[in-house]
Amino acid sequence: MLRKETNGEERRLNRDEEDEEEEENDRGHDAWERTYADERSWEALQEDESGLLRPIDNKTLYHAQYRRRLRTATAARIQKGLIRYLYIVIDLSRAATETDYKPNRMVVVARQVEAFIREFFDQNPLSQIGLLTLKDGVAHCLTELGGSPESHIKALMGKLVCSGDASLQNGLDLVHSLLNQIPSYGHREVLMLYSALSTCDPGDIMETIQKCKSSKIRCSVIGLSAELYICKYLCLETGGSYSVSLDEPHLKELVLEHAPPPPAIAEFAISNLIKMGFPQRAAEGVISICSCHKEAKVGGGYTCPRCKARVCELPTECCICGLTLVSSPHLARSYHHLFPITPFDDVAVSSDPHKVPKNCFGCQQSLLAPGKRLLFLLYVIMIRDE
Amino acid sequence: MKFQIEDVTVYFPYDNIYPEQYAYMVELKRALDAKGHCLLEMPTGTGKTIALLSLITSYTLSKPSNPVKLLYCTRTVHEMEKTLAELKLLHNYQLHHLGPSVRMLALGLSSRKNLCINPSVVSAENRDSVDAACRKLTASWVRAMAIENPNVRTCSFFDNYEKAASDAILPPGVYTLQDLRAFGKEKGWCPYFLARHMVQFANVVVYSYQYLLDPKVAGIISKEMQRESVVVFDEAHNIDNVCIEALSVSVRSQTLEGAMRNLNRMSQEIDRLKATDAGRLRAEYNRLVEGLAQRGNLPIGDTWFANPALPDDILKEAVPGNIRRAEHFLSVLRRLIQYFKGRLQTENVEKEGPVSFVASINTQVGIDQKMLRFCYDRLHSLMLTLEITDTDEFLHIQTICDLATLVGTYTRGFSIIIEPFDERMPHIPDPVLQLCCHDASLAIKPVFERFQSVVITSGTLSPIDLYPRLLNFNPVVSQSFTMSLTRDCICPMVLTRGSDQLPVSTKYDLRSDPGVEKNYGKLLLEMVSVVPDGIVCFFVSYSYMDGIVNSWHESGILKEIMQHKLVFIETQDVVETTLALDNYRRACDCGRGAVFFSVARGKVAEGIDFDRHYGRLVIMFGVPFQYTLSRILLARLEYLRETFQIKEGDFLTFDALRQAAQCVGRVIRSKADYGMMIFADKRYSRHDKRSKLPGWILSHLRDAHLNLSTDMAVHIAREFLRKMAQPYDKTGAMGKKTLLSQEDLQKTGNGIGEMLF
Repeated sequence: MLRKETNGEERRLNRDEEDEEEEENDRGHDAWERTYADERSWEALQEDESGLLRPIDNKTLYHAQYRRRLRTATAARIQKGLIRYLYIVIDLSRAATETDYKPNRMVVVARQVEAFIREFFDQNPLSQIGLLTLKDGVAHCLTELGGSPESHIKALMGKLVCSGDASLQNGLDLVHSLLNQIPSYGHREVLMLYSALSTCDPGDIMETIQKCKSSKIRCSVIGLSAELYICKYLCLETGGSYSVSLDEPHLKELVLEHAPPPPAIAEFAISNLIKMGFPQRAAEGVISICSCHKEAKVGGGYTCPRCKARVCELPTECCICGLTLVSSPHLARSYHHLFPITPFDDVAVSSDPHKVPKNCFGCQQSLLAPGKRLLFLLYVIMIRDE
Repeated sequence: MKFQIEDVTVYFPYDNIYPEQYAYMVELKRALDAKGHCLLEMPTGTGKTIALLSLITSYTLSKPSNPVKLLYCTRTVHEMEKTLAELKLLHNYQLHHLGPSVRMLALGLSSRKNLCINPSVVSAENRDSVDAACRKLTASWVRAMAIENPNVRTCSFFDNYEKAASDAILPPGVYTLQDLRAFGKEKGWCPYFLARHMVQFANVVVYSYQYLLDPKVAGIISKEMQRESVVVFDEAHNIDNVCIEALSVSVRSQTLEGAMRNLNRMSQEIDRLKATDAGRLRAEYNRLVEGLAQRGNLPIGDTWFANPALPDDILKEAVPGNIRRAEHFLSVLRRLIQYFKGRLQTENVEKEGPVSFVASINTQVGIDQKMLRFCYDRLHSLMLTLEITDTDEFLHIQTICDLATLVGTYTRGFSIIIEPFDERMPHIPDPVLQLCCHDASLAIKPVFERFQSVVITSGTLSPIDLYPRLLNFNPVVSQSFTMSLTRDCICPMVLTRGSDQLPVSTKYDLRSDPGVEKNYGKLLLEMVSVVPDGIVCFFVSYSYMDGIVNSWHESGILKEIMQHKLVFIETQDVVETTLALDNYRRACDCGRGAVFFSVARGKVAEGIDFDRHYGRLVIMFGVPFQYTLSRILLARLEYLRETFQIKEGDFLTFDALRQAAQCVGRVIRSKADYGMMIFADKRYSRHDKRSKLPGWILSHLRDAHLNLSTDMAVHIAREFLRKMAQPYDKTGAMGKKTLLSQEDLQKTGNGIGEMLF
């Protein structure tokens, strides 16, 4: 509900902006011109051998899914950092107002970040996220590191305005100062969503990159328009990944690739003991003062085992005593990254209908409709994960 | 890897080979077999150099009874070093596989400036002063004097080299200039003279074009080379211009004044010599009477310049009587200079042929053709007799004699053009007398005749049938290769209209139209906002660039461009340009992004690479035609039409398009790289222009990209850059094979050649 509202707001806001822009510039794209110049829907069509039209991508889609499965298989038994401290840096410079993504880059990025934050906490319940924005040549800290998806999303949706240039260096400097304080068992990561094609820096960015490298911050960048050398260099130096999105679905895919934990950097992967609390859910109808909202609440919530404070959601850090609070399913969910299940074998539908089970073993759905097969397999994986 | 091409086993130092490299070798081998000349075009970044080197050295190895020598000509010292480094790699590979029996000697030869190791000499600022400083220490009379008087300074490296005499040889191996200097330092020998000496025995010599094409130099360096040599001209798309420049001379009033000063000094020297050592002058006189050729029987330190005319055209007879005496010769020169001075005072542009020019010299100052012809040799002899070592001071008089000899020797293919002022600045008097050669085949003819195979190769030789006509030879093979790519990593586009659908062009009548300038500005502005890192823009001339940058500045477009990227501009000053390039690269490195404004035919367009992120896009604003009102060009066009039946329009288009191809070719230097090229002029969409682009660009120029407007181009650029930013598979596993291993070659055998075409 909340999401819809904010989206609506944005759109209105954007329309205003666009109107202004059109008045300012004499570019004057009419609607029909826009379809011709920007959308070019006809290019998405391809002809097959017999000259019939077919939508593009079928093959690449299957190929990508196949590759993803392979990748998870090969990545098994690699040491991974489960406690991640990730800063998402969102570029809100002038370049984010471009409309090559509909309605514009900023909105698309915000949408993907929202999805990512939810997915991230789903997969890494022990980790924390913070949000940063780049605009007007400076970096702002939108939210501090925290474990609550809702608060991040809310903060992000409230601040969607673009202006000025982006400065990679300022962003990295801020991230560096913020991440330098976190304990050594946590993995420091940065994910940048970079719309701009240049960076306007106050000093030597190479030094900043080296600084990030020496403090073991893994920087990954997702570009929205083209390959930028400095981003590539940054990712190469700090061990992150650099990718450029083709369109919105591809962007989504690229962003979500960062949700599972990356392999730990060998020299930095020292095992460590961490103190954690497993709070109990308070009984229904009990009235207590919530430590996160600072008001009295009835029922729900969890009680910190050390200081008995009430918190609304897990996982989080206790506001009073600073203990990491998780529930055991969270730990279990993180665990599967370390020991992923082996990929399923692709079974060809044999001609003999008796040998193939008609229904899925797990969900009892029919397997006979071809083409849905892959979907079911993925579905099964999800169930077993959970 | 090693593989067979017909009867030759080719040793190739890498594990894989590109199919076009293989095809290139096959064609080259055929040309060598036929002992003929060939023209080969293959795009840059496909490993031309290594293909050439490995085939030719392997060819030599397979025919031990009849070894061929390789003379490899490059344009710059940097290219020379790169070639030698490749050769080193190849040689090590061959040694590894065949043992020490295949040892060869390969070395680079360059001027004293690049080879000298004497600290007091090499510190001089330019090439001529290094040469002169060297002569001051090594000329035979200086050394003779040093024996009597220990205070006379000589060069210890040269002395040691002389002392070692026949022991002074280079052991087999591959020597870059750096290696030569190191070797010289270690042994205490002069690397320059050692290299000059060893060139005769080397299997591979890498040097600059001038050593073969400029008769002044070629006479000294390259005359001993055997006929069984393969001459390679690399990056030879401008070879006709090099040939022409080698035989062209221009004289300004400063030259004449300098020459006068030189003459005065020489006459003082003569007077002094008369008083002290008259015998020397008499000995010279006798020598000239006997007609002894000056070259050949002089100590090596003294052979420092040879005739500017081509060897076959030099008369093998005695110097004419009336310039045998030094004073007489000087007075002849004085009269000649007076004559030139008189000619330079003209108010109108004058143009005449060598014959009438010589005739008018004869009637006005009484110097006949034969005397003119001998000027250069006579001057040379006189300067030796006078023991002049600071030759850099005497360049002016050398220029005059150069001109005299050329004009006395040739009657066709040249013309004399006298211009009282520069066409573009008619208020500033700047008279210049130019002797221009129009026939590129003159200078290169001896090369074609003397050597069994001449290979002319470059990334841009299209249209390939014009070069044989310009250079007047019959190639046995002329072939253009395309690049095999795993992905479409170049994206050429022809932009004909601005965003307002009005045509853009640098045609004379449209050029200064504000609408065109605005459209060009809008194009760049749109592009800087979608292209990351570096963009290079080429303009047709300095004046056009100045004009358009001014108008962009006034209309505020430049300021908007600067919001996205920094702007750097090439100027005629080399130091400034180098600085600008340096900062341009830094801006690309640190992510700020930059635009470089440059000029077609300028230094940057010819020699600087804008590979990888230094050039993601190159925009060619307009068609870089030569300045068509230039008298020299007009005279050359006329000559070409009369002699070779090449139409003016054809030649101009060819020349413009090869420059354009050169410019845009800067952007892609290897297969892993990617880049876009925009030809922003409506004239490129015409077939006669477009078809003259090299094949490897044309093959990527899709029909849909031939007639674009700015907004379409921006869209294509966006899509292209996104596509190229995706990770890709280098070996090209999907279908198209672009890297062949040894097994692949054996499997398909000779079928590959056919497979490609």
